[in-house]
Amino acid sequence: MSDHTHAAERHANPRGAVARRQAALLRLSTAIAAAQDEEAIYRSVVNGLQDEALGYNFLGVFLLDPETGDRVLQASVGWPDVPPDWRVHRGEGLSEQALMDGKLHYTPDVTRESKYLPSLSTGSELDVPLRVDGQTIGVLVVESAEPDAFGEEDFEILTAAANQAAIAVGRARLLVAERLRADEHKALLDTMADLSAELELPRVLQAVLRRAVSLLGVTGGEVAIFEEESQELLVVASQDIGKESTGTRLKLGEGAMGTVARTHEPLIIPSYHEWLGRSGKYADVTVHSVMAAPLLIGRRLVGAIATVHSDPERVFGPEDLRLLNLFAPQAAIAIENARLYTAAQRQKQYFEEVLQNSPVAIVTLDRDYRIYSCNPAFERLFGYASAEAVGRNLDELITTEASRSEAEQYTRDALDRAVHGIGRRRRKDGTMVDVEVLGVPVIVDGERVGLMGLYHDITELLRARQEAEAANSAKSQFLASMSHELRTPLNAIIGYSEMLHEEVTDLGHAQLGDDLEKINTAGRHLLSLINNVLDLSKIEAGRMDLFLEEFDVDAMLDDVVTTARPLVDKNANRLEVRRNAQLGRMRADLTKVRQMLLNLLSNACKFTEKGNIILDVQRRADEEPFEGELIALSVSDTGIGMTEEQMDRLFEAFSQAEASTTSKYGGTGLGLAITRRFCEMMGGDVAVQSAPGEGTTFTVRLPAAVAPSPAGTAAE
Amino acid sequence: MPKILLVEDNEMNRDMLSRRLERKGFEVAMAFDGRQGVEMAKSDGYDLILMDMSLPEIDGWEATRQLRAEPKTQAVPIIALTAHAMAGDRERALEAGCDDYDTKPIELPRLLAKMESLLGKTE
Repeated sequence: MSDHTHAAERHANPRGAVARRQAALLRLSTAIAAAQDEEAIYRSVVNGLQDEALGYNFLGVFLLDPETGDRVLQASVGWPDVPPDWRVHRGEGLSEQALMDGKLHYTPDVTRESKYLPSLSTGSELDVPLRVDGQTIGVLVVESAEPDAFGEEDFEILTAAANQAAIAVGRARLLVAERLRADEHKALLDTMADLSAELELPRVLQAVLRRAVSLLGVTGGEVAIFEEESQELLVVASQDIGKESTGTRLKLGEGAMGTVARTHEPLIIPSYHEWLGRSGKYADVTVHSVMAAPLLIGRRLVGAIATVHSDPERVFGPEDLRLLNLFAPQAAIAIENARLYTAAQRQKQYFEEVLQNSPVAIVTLDRDYRIYSCNPAFERLFGYASAEAVGRNLDELITTEASRSEAEQYTRDALDRAVHGIGRRRRKDGTMVDVEVLGVPVIVDGERVGLMGLYHDITELLRARQEAEAANSAKSQFLASMSHELRTPLNAIIGYSEMLHEEVTDLGHAQLGDDLEKINTAGRHLLSLINNVLDLSKIEAGRMDLFLEEFDVDAMLDDVVTTARPLVDKNANRLEVRRNAQLGRMRADLTKVRQMLLNLLSNACKFTEKGNIILDVQRRADEEPFEGELIALSVSDTGIGMTEEQMDRLFEAFSQAEASTTSKYGGTGLGLAITRRFCEMMGGDVAVQSAPGEGTTFTVRLPAAVAPSPAGTAAE
Repeated sequence: MPKILLVEDNEMNRDMLSRRLERKGFEVAMAFDGRQGVEMAKSDGYDLILMDMSLPEIDGWEATRQLRAEPKTQAVPIIALTAHAMAGDRERALEAGCDDYDTKPIELPRLLAKMESLLGKTE
């Protein structure tokens, strides 16, 4: 027993000393718990154990360096001349044994041990292992200058201290690992930010691969994209796998990437050349181990990535898999973005190509009517190069003073809605060009960003139209003059036969009168043919104008009835006129209304013998499709009537119900066609009701106030 | 016996109409063109003028306007005679100052009715 060391003293174990030791141990625990990192933990262990109440004066904490097997000094107290990072090599020193078996070792007299590395040179040494998660990571070395200085109590105290320190170290290491992971995550995010900035697909794929290789610390790798159409993987980037694999195609299930593409699960292949699933396309690669993962967006396959180690010492572990799993979805999104971007670029190129090759001049304007772009057809039409035109006000560029305001109106309107018109525009060389103009607003995401104008050169069209109009006008002129030329001799035939008829009647030669009347009738028939053909040709040519005037309906009816009287009497028919009390006045083309009525009455008389003809005229209101008041004029007869089929063709030119009727009843077959056209011109309609043997009713409906036709009412 | 001036350039029409009107008891004077018609109307007094519209020298519309501008002839009834071929003739005739119009070929009863109606008004 010696009393010149604290350790020896504790063996006396007085009551007050126990309490002090417990207090010291508590302080030690508190200090260890408060330590922020491993270094601080080790310092607080040695410092705390040096406490007066505990009396350990020579202490050190060593950690095992797994690479070399050395013990490296982390913290120490009491030892003279010890360097801060003192390394005790494998096979040296007493403390190695505790490290090897994880148990406490006591050496009562160090001078007897050959492995003892001199620090105090004499005395005793206690080595306590530091165990974290079942592994011995280091050793706590406690020495005394006295031999045989430690007992059971010291073993307990120091074991407890070592365990506390080990727990703290384990916690600290976890913290560090978490921090590392956080840092790694940040690095990954940075990588992704870089990837997202790349939009060109080939460059994205190269970047994805480069990042993956550096993030995982592997030899090389490759990236493939999945093609929907072929259902194959296409290798698009390859780096350091021992061959240039770009362009290789893999079916689903083929090789490492094909396998992960099918299973949607990552895969580690520790020894690639022994792997049964390898593809023949990779027979010559120099890789040792492979880790592959599918690139997925949700459940949709975008591609696959593979990383390789060519060093047989390096194998893929859970940590690599974890990193790849973090990386793969980001890479998939980057690839998909690039794909979408590429698709959008193609779309854009497509539309640009359309614009470039359009034969129609196309110009786009911003909201201030300045030219934003124009196509080659625009350049050709107006003689301005695109560079000259862009930024200029469109209407200042291609109009003259005369057409400026009209053009500007189009432009303004086109910002709101589609506009269409015909106009003249000025070329750069000052010549004018006739154009058809189309303008539409350009709306992007609901915002009106400008407008688009299309110009179509219609010089040729206009010339063709003018020629057609001239030809048409010549035709009308010809018809008019021809009918005039025909009419003059006809007038003589009709007039003289009528006059002669009057004279021979006065002279009492009645038998001559019949022949003269036949000449007269034939002449009148020919005249009506000429008149109808002329009317119809005018209608067809669009040259029949409306002359609207207000007239008294009753007076018009009286006039028509007077004129029709001889026709009614001819076949011994009776004409009954029914009309509303207040027919009043109407606004229409009087001549045409009269002509239509006479047509209908003439037809009724022609096809009815000894029957009744009713002219019924009413003023009515609000009948579809008319707005306001209308005049309905209907002519009914008790004549031969018509079948459905006959009625179908009734209003066509030169169609009588049957060819045979023409010879029996005469007529041109044009009357009803003209009647229908006249009705349409005045915004009215004509309808027929009939059955064979039951007579026929024609009804003409006209607005009480006919609106002027767009062609105007000007005289010819 | 009403005195009628017939202005008509076509010989056959003129011959026919004048003879038929004379048979009905009218005294008929004849002019061959618009200018002659205006001169005759100014120098002699007529109860009614039948005016063809398509006339040489000056046409029927112009002749009518001139007669309407002249105090002596402004109240003389004028009936325009127009060809059916010329749509709008009637409107233009009434506009120029004609009192009525009739189409050729002449239907004598219809023309007589119009003439009698106008002659009745002036008497």
